[in-house]
Amino acid sequence: MSVAMKESIFNGLLMGGVYGFMALGLTLIFGIVKVINFAHGSFIMVGMFTGYWFWVLTHIDPYLSLLIIVPLLFLLGYQVQNVLIKPVLKSEAEVREPIGILVLTAGLWLFLDNLALLLFGPNFRTAETPYTGQMFKAGDVLISAPKLYAFLISLATTGILYILLKKTLLGKAIRATGQNRQVASLMGVDIYKIYNISFGLGVALTGVTGALLVPFYPVYPNVGFVFDIRAFMIVVLGGLGSIPGALLGGLIVGLIESVGAQFMATSWTAGLIFVIFLLVLYLRPEGMFGFKEEW
Amino acid sequence: MIAKTRDHSSGTFRNLITTQKAQKGDERGIAGNVRITSHNATPKLSLYLPALFVIVLACIPVLTKNPVFLQIMILIMWYAYLTCSWNIVGGFAGQLSFAHPAFAGLGAYVSTLLFMYCGLTPWLGMLVGGLFAVLIVITIGYPCFKLRGAYFAITSIALAEVLRIAVENTDELFGIKIGGPMGLLVPLRGHSPLYMQFTTKEHYYYVILAMMLFGLFVTHRITKSKMGYYLAAIRNDVDAALALGVNVTKYRLLAAAISAFLAALGGTFYAQFVLYIHPSGIMGQYLAFELVFIAIVGGRGTFIGPLLGAFTLVPLSELSRIYLGGGYSGVHLLVYGFLVMLVILFMPRGLSAPAENIYLALERRLRPAWALERGDTDAAAKR
Repeated sequence: MSVAMKESIFNGLLMGGVYGFMALGLTLIFGIVKVINFAHGSFIMVGMFTGYWFWVLTHIDPYLSLLIIVPLLFLLGYQVQNVLIKPVLKSEAEVREPIGILVLTAGLWLFLDNLALLLFGPNFRTAETPYTGQMFKAGDVLISAPKLYAFLISLATTGILYILLKKTLLGKAIRATGQNRQVASLMGVDIYKIYNISFGLGVALTGVTGALLVPFYPVYPNVGFVFDIRAFMIVVLGGLGSIPGALLGGLIVGLIESVGAQFMATSWTAGLIFVIFLLVLYLRPEGMFGFKEEW
Repeated sequence: MIAKTRDHSSGTFRNLITTQKAQKGDERGIAGNVRITSHNATPKLSLYLPALFVIVLACIPVLTKNPVFLQIMILIMWYAYLTCSWNIVGGFAGQLSFAHPAFAGLGAYVSTLLFMYCGLTPWLGMLVGGLFAVLIVITIGYPCFKLRGAYFAITSIALAEVLRIAVENTDELFGIKIGGPMGLLVPLRGHSPLYMQFTTKEHYYYVILAMMLFGLFVTHRITKSKMGYYLAAIRNDVDAALALGVNVTKYRLLAAAISAFLAALGGTFYAQFVLYIHPSGIMGQYLAFELVFIAIVGGRGTFIGPLLGAFTLVPLSELSRIYLGGGYSGVHLLVYGFLVMLVILFMPRGLSAPAENIYLALERRLRPAWALERGDTDAAAKR
């Protein structure tokens, strides 16, 4: 195996981990609130811009600033759910296939993206953090340090999320709501509050991904679109609402993208992912691995 | 009738109107009378109003030759036309499709390539493009119809993106130059109606006006037909429709095919009007969002919705392009996004709801007068 091939596999796995983590917020929101959040990519963009401005204005270590970014984005998500989505969710409770929320989040997507465009302009910005461009050498393979850090922090945060969901009372309430909202509310769970919290958690996770991307990915207002579509693909590949599915789907997409780039033009790899996605959807609509929703 | 009133986005204009009228009649205890007169009286307003609308639109280029104004009007009608085509799938069949730019792009590319390489006039080329779009729907789109809600929406995005990426990355296909991301320049023929090229805006104006009226006519026919009712049943409850023996796949496919065909024609018009096509413009995702938002703001699933939406949002976007973003393309979508959120939150049926109220009030005003004219003193006495 050539060095380039090895490097692309490593790179693909690292990026795949980040992708999987990125899709986690989407799958969490879908699993609990049963809402497809089209504005997912915009929240990644918001996370990236928050991380970027934090770095530019304060020069706090980009990984340390996560401690501030996470609560900020949690609040943002909490309020988005509380103010925007909750009323529609309540009014569409009877409708079989609610489209209102899809359109609402799509509206939010365009609103946020173009607000950023208006505020910051269309230019690509790169944050010159101390980690930018740093490399590790493992044997004959070069590994990008910020990608490795992003991967490790993603893993750690997933662990924290897992503990939160499985070991705490709040987590129990969240999982109960995801399993059956009526029964959960009969057991005294305030489901709309749980929705708010879950949405906040989802957005916070998304924001973390955004902030993790800052040291090695350019920041621009429409950056979310790239990740948004990818996150949808990943989530559907792994089965909507499934956490291990999202992580595995992320790894697969990361690998396809980075190994595929060895054989074809980079711009084609995105198309390749879509084609695989369409095939999976035709053949196995429940997702590649058939993970059940496990909330 | 109960099902009709519960589903807010449902039904044709007339359906809702007769439903409401019947209810109001019952309240007043003159149900029978009102039903009979309304049957005779409604065709008048529903005939005069569209006729007036068409006449006003047709007169505009006679009254003003201002190219900026005509340009905006052409854009409005183009969006209204495309949204009409979207409405058949997104509104009547209830499937949120983001794939329509792909169909429009297909129409634009096919007709332009036929024009460039075979010298075929776009008037015929647009039909070929439409058939291509139908072909895509049948082959690639067909498996998507079993998908529901969000899955369908995501898949349609993926489909459109695959097509866009494919076009963007192909400079040449079997020796035919497609132009990749650079796009294609439509060869100029000067003022030649035969090749759908004009030197003045008025001609384009009348072409797109005719197309928009055709689109409205088609959607109106659908709402009146058996197919329209089947689609409404499918939208309200797929399982119930299946249980009643509605051939869900057939009607969804039919709706999608008509819709894609119309969208492709719109693409050809765009190519001939702008004379330049490139993948991220005509096939890009922003166009899909614009269509969806216009339909939502106007009133999804009503035949008048695309018209109302386009006549509200497109001028707004032009204004915001002028006053907001300066040079940034896409800033007008800020306004779209904001408005669509407001509409979803506070006016789920879109602008078609107030429009309908105005229509009803107008009709109530006029009905006694018309009744008197016909010598129906009974109804006139109710005034």
